[in-house]
Amino acid sequence: MSESLKSGIEQFKDNIFGLKDSLTKSYLRAGKPTSDMSRAALMVNNFFLHIQGAKTHINTLRPAYTLGMGLIAFYLFIITCVSGALVMIFYNPSIEHAYSTVKDINYVVFAGRLMRNVHKWSGEGMIVFVLLHMARVLYTNSYKRGREFNWLIGIVLLVLTFVLNLTGYMLPWDQLSYWALVIVSNIIQSPKELTDILGLTKFVDIGGIQKEFFLAGTVPGAATLNRVYFLHIMLLPIIITTFIGVHFWRIRKDGGLTVPDNFNSSCNVDCGNLVVLPKKTGGIFTTNKTYGLMTMSKGVTPAVDRDVENTVLSWPNLAIAEAAVFVLCLAAVIVYSIFVDAPLKEAANALIPENPAKAPWYFLGLQEMVSYSAFMGSIVIPMLSVLGLALIPYLDRDQSDVGIWFSGSAGKKVAIKTLIVGSVCLIGMLAFVVNFGWFRNWWPSIAQIWIILINPANLWLLFVCAWSIWIIKSTGSTRMGAIALFTMFLVSYLILTYVGTELRGPNWEFFWSKAQWPIH
Amino acid sequence: MQSRFYASLLLISALILLAFVSYAGLRELNPEWKTYQKEYKRLFFNNAVTPDMKKKAAEYTVGIRQIYIKDLNRVDRCDNCHVGVENPLMAKEKVPYRQHSGTYLKDHPVTKFGCTICHLGQGNATNKKEAHAEGHDTYWDYPILPLKHIQSSCTQCHNMDFLSKHGADVIIEGEKLFNEKGCKGCHKLSGNGGVLGKALDGVGSQPIHYFPMRYVEGERTQPSWLKQHFEDPRKVVPESVMKVKLTPEEADKLTTYILSIRTYDPPKIYRRINEEPIVAKDGHALYNMYCVACHEDGKLSAFDENLKGTIPAIENPAFLMNADDRFIEMVVKEGRKGTPMTSWQLSSAGLTDEEIKKIVSYVALQRGHESSKPVSVNLKTGDKDAGKEIFNVRCALCHGEKGQGGLGLNLANQIIKKADDQYLFKTIRDGRATTPMPPFGSTGLGLTDQQIVNVISYIKAF
Amino acid sequence: MIVNKKPSLQCISYILIMVFSLLIFSIAAAEEGALKAPQDDGKNAVSVDVKKDVQDAGNNEAQLTLGKKLFGERCVVCHGASGNGKGPAGVIKVMEKSGRVLEIHPRDLTSGTFKFRTVSTGCLPLDEDLLRTITDGILKSFMPDAKVLKLDERKALVAYVKTFSPRFTAEEPCKQIAAKMPKWVGSKDSIVKGEALYKKMKCPDCHGNDGSGNGPKSNDIVDDWGNKILPFNFRTGNLKRGSTPDNVYLTFTTGLDGSGMPSYEDSLKDEERWNLVSFTLKLMNKAEYLK
Repeated sequence: MSESLKSGIEQFKDNIFGLKDSLTKSYLRAGKPTSDMSRAALMVNNFFLHIQGAKTHINTLRPAYTLGMGLIAFYLFIITCVSGALVMIFYNPSIEHAYSTVKDINYVVFAGRLMRNVHKWSGEGMIVFVLLHMARVLYTNSYKRGREFNWLIGIVLLVLTFVLNLTGYMLPWDQLSYWALVIVSNIIQSPKELTDILGLTKFVDIGGIQKEFFLAGTVPGAATLNRVYFLHIMLLPIIITTFIGVHFWRIRKDGGLTVPDNFNSSCNVDCGNLVVLPKKTGGIFTTNKTYGLMTMSKGVTPAVDRDVENTVLSWPNLAIAEAAVFVLCLAAVIVYSIFVDAPLKEAANALIPENPAKAPWYFLGLQEMVSYSAFMGSIVIPMLSVLGLALIPYLDRDQSDVGIWFSGSAGKKVAIKTLIVGSVCLIGMLAFVVNFGWFRNWWPSIAQIWIILINPANLWLLFVCAWSIWIIKSTGSTRMGAIALFTMFLVSYLILTYVGTELRGPNWEFFWSKAQWPIH
Repeated sequence: MQSRFYASLLLISALILLAFVSYAGLRELNPEWKTYQKEYKRLFFNNAVTPDMKKKAAEYTVGIRQIYIKDLNRVDRCDNCHVGVENPLMAKEKVPYRQHSGTYLKDHPVTKFGCTICHLGQGNATNKKEAHAEGHDTYWDYPILPLKHIQSSCTQCHNMDFLSKHGADVIIEGEKLFNEKGCKGCHKLSGNGGVLGKALDGVGSQPIHYFPMRYVEGERTQPSWLKQHFEDPRKVVPESVMKVKLTPEEADKLTTYILSIRTYDPPKIYRRINEEPIVAKDGHALYNMYCVACHEDGKLSAFDENLKGTIPAIENPAFLMNADDRFIEMVVKEGRKGTPMTSWQLSSAGLTDEEIKKIVSYVALQRGHESSKPVSVNLKTGDKDAGKEIFNVRCALCHGEKGQGGLGLNLANQIIKKADDQYLFKTIRDGRATTPMPPFGSTGLGLTDQQIVNVISYIKAF
Repeated sequence: MIVNKKPSLQCISYILIMVFSLLIFSIAAAEEGALKAPQDDGKNAVSVDVKKDVQDAGNNEAQLTLGKKLFGERCVVCHGASGNGKGPAGVIKVMEKSGRVLEIHPRDLTSGTFKFRTVSTGCLPLDEDLLRTITDGILKSFMPDAKVLKLDERKALVAYVKTFSPRFTAEEPCKQIAAKMPKWVGSKDSIVKGEALYKKMKCPDCHGNDGSGNGPKSNDIVDDWGNKILPFNFRTGNLKRGSTPDNVYLTFTTGLDGSGMPSYEDSLKDEERWNLVSFTLKLMNKAEYLK
């Protein structure tokens, strides 16, 4: 009634003066986060925050548990997107202007060089952190109890990260871009190696079709650049954003991050000054009510049973942690970008091949295997690797020890043993190949089919499988097999990438360092 | 503890971020070129004498500049540092403030030509290292052209006739050296020249990666490569067979000329090339252009370690006495397969029949008046097998088992098959004075005429 | 769980894999070493047995007739019928890569002075030295190899060549010098010592500081017959007798009689000569002999 006594002007005046409060209220809905209720409401009512629970398990907040890897990968994606948009404003995707606009970004756009560096390094950082995140999930046994499907989505994200980086690599249209494009298109064309042998090429040239699809022609040119640009700024970002959304949503649906079954830390010891829920001993609910959306989700939720004792409110505990990681991430990328420039070579020149023409570093492990057999190294082995990684949660259904690093000391031993055996054997095999060559060097006229069937990459794959199975057999645990397989994957990726990047020179020959390269 | 951990992490990261963002911002606000422009403004003001000038200097605003030349498709930002190139008041200052030397800018206004069309370098760049493209790590195809070779840029628009009248002495002398040292004996240019070396078309505008720089000392640029290659070919390209003797000064001039051979053509409105009347060259000039690199003065018969064969002394009177013009012309036209001697006819090395005739008559000038007595040689009586026996013992030591050559000339080629029987007979019988080819006839090493005929029929069958 | 059922088997397989990998490593390393080991280019292929044969063969008449016939066919062109090195072919000119023109005079066989020996300076060459030169020829000088001839024929040539100089009947043969290369030849240390000796022994006077044969005295050298000769250019070529360490050592030890190259047998110790070998191998850029 009292409202009506005021005149319209007075109401308007009050509204103006109350603007700050009313805006805050409309934005935060439940008012300032001063009570547990409003803190929870803040999480639930915000579109971006609601994908996380109102309460978070303490284990999730332990830096030593998650290492923040997934979060960092996500933040790098955000940074990449923002800096990418800034770089995109000045970039012109035509072969006449692409290179000079990139030069202009470097030379005359305010902070353009920094933005380009940030874009480049955060993008490549994504690869590193997506892999590390994957390692964390695997080693903490976090791909189980309903999370199997999310692991698959993670694999899709890994592949998308690679492809996004690769398409970005093509855009400056310098020598690196051009010759990487040539290499990649050759890799894409490699099924031809098999169809040639089977005499099918003249009927259906799968490799050729793939290559033409990718290059929008038979050689890299204007149409290729358009196609790659479209993939890089439009199609792939949309896809990856969608998958990231699904990935996060599934985390919630699967009951948050994993927690060890016997997690039993008492807040007196471990919680410090986390904002915890008040202890309730009476009332209708013997345990605390929760405000999350977990009622719809399956699996174990932090809101029931004993788990609730170890949860804290997400606001501010989780929020501050996430903010801290974000700022750290941004600071690291900017510092790195200030001091290290993104590479930019001479303008693309189809007449001057780079020797060695190398794909971007993250594909050099593949290129190393391609040097043994194009078809196996570029199609079969990557496919099998991705398939093997994807199937890990389905082949290892051992539900014990979830949320424990390496599932205890036995897993740690297996990981270390695999690391040593894997490194030694792989380096040994590479040393053998470098020194003695392979079939083609021994019997120059041997049919290519033998090399496709028997080459170092295949043997290595077999060894990895055999080793994992042997671990399963000797330990009696599929979980140990998973650790062994994944460790082998990491070791192979690291060593092969290192060899391809640092130790391979012109004509893909072995050199201890770049200083030993012959002419050029 | 976690909350405090994250809070301090947030604080520290935020401070680091702030510090480095400010650092980056400051760096962006104070680029290299700004320092130069500020100094330029000061100098401009100091040098200005009239109040008008002072006012102009005071009004000069520091800011990024560029010259965009649509027709040349170039953006030159050189004047961000070389800001005084058009200011006469800066004539006595140091580089980069100094006014452009000479009167070049009067005829080539900066707004129409820019800088990199002549000076090369990276016009886009706004810092010295990358603009001058010094060092391989700048990844620019055309590093700045040293001033001593700057005349190589003139030929893009002007012809030699014009340049010779306007004081472009270096490039004129470079061209003279190019013609006199026989470069075209091995290198093709505009369709004529030998095939032993790489073709030179567009070599002056080849990107830096075209040149293998591994053994180049000092700056690894096109001019350094060319100069060091002229001074010692095998230092820069170990497998090179190039023969060249130049003083360092000559090497510089020749480098300038070679750098002027570019494929890039500026648009027509820039070019001032009038069709030069083609002056027909005489035999001597042609000999210098195409033959002199290998045959030198044609008097020395020496085994050449680079070409791995003996270069025949074609001015040797003993040779000319037996070889008639028809034979020499045939050799020049067809070349000698399996040896460095190229076929020089129009379809391969690009010389017209007329030019070849001129060269032959120049070579024949050394022929004495006396001609050798004709002999009658009947190859039908030749016994190849007997010839083979003699050849393997007597000739193979120098000419090779299969006539492939060594110290002696290569005999397994079509020229020998087509050669006059009398010519071969006399050569074997009398030897070739002043060369290691000894007389094998009865007066020398004692082969009978019949034996010589046998040998001829054997070598004709290679 | 069956984790610890067969611990020994697990252990053994583990060790086996490690051993296997190490094996591959060591094979790889060994292979690399083998590739880099010095390779004998066959210059010293004449064995001691041959020496004995040559001496036993004696000067019998038939052999000399054969020798004379072969000499007339193959050698006269350069060395002349009287063996004085003035055959109809005359002087052979060679333009080196550097543009320098060498004049090669065929050996005057009547003097009994030979460059390529395995005996001290001033001594007559052994029969096997001559046989080796005839068999293998002399690199770069256009003295061809005579591998097409049978051993008997080559021995006959040796016997006939010896008849040109009276020294072969008047003088006793000297003791052969064997080259036994120490292991450290080609090492960095040895190269440094060799370089000091190179300067100390005044080698640069003729061969130049950088070994390119352009020292201050290089234009004034004549051989025993008064012909102008040029010092060896280490930068561009191979030694006429072959560029193996043994041959370089023998050159320093025996000298090149008749040319300006003296013997250092008395003025340098054996070890010092080998150091000099190391340094000259470096000058010639013989990477295969350097460590």
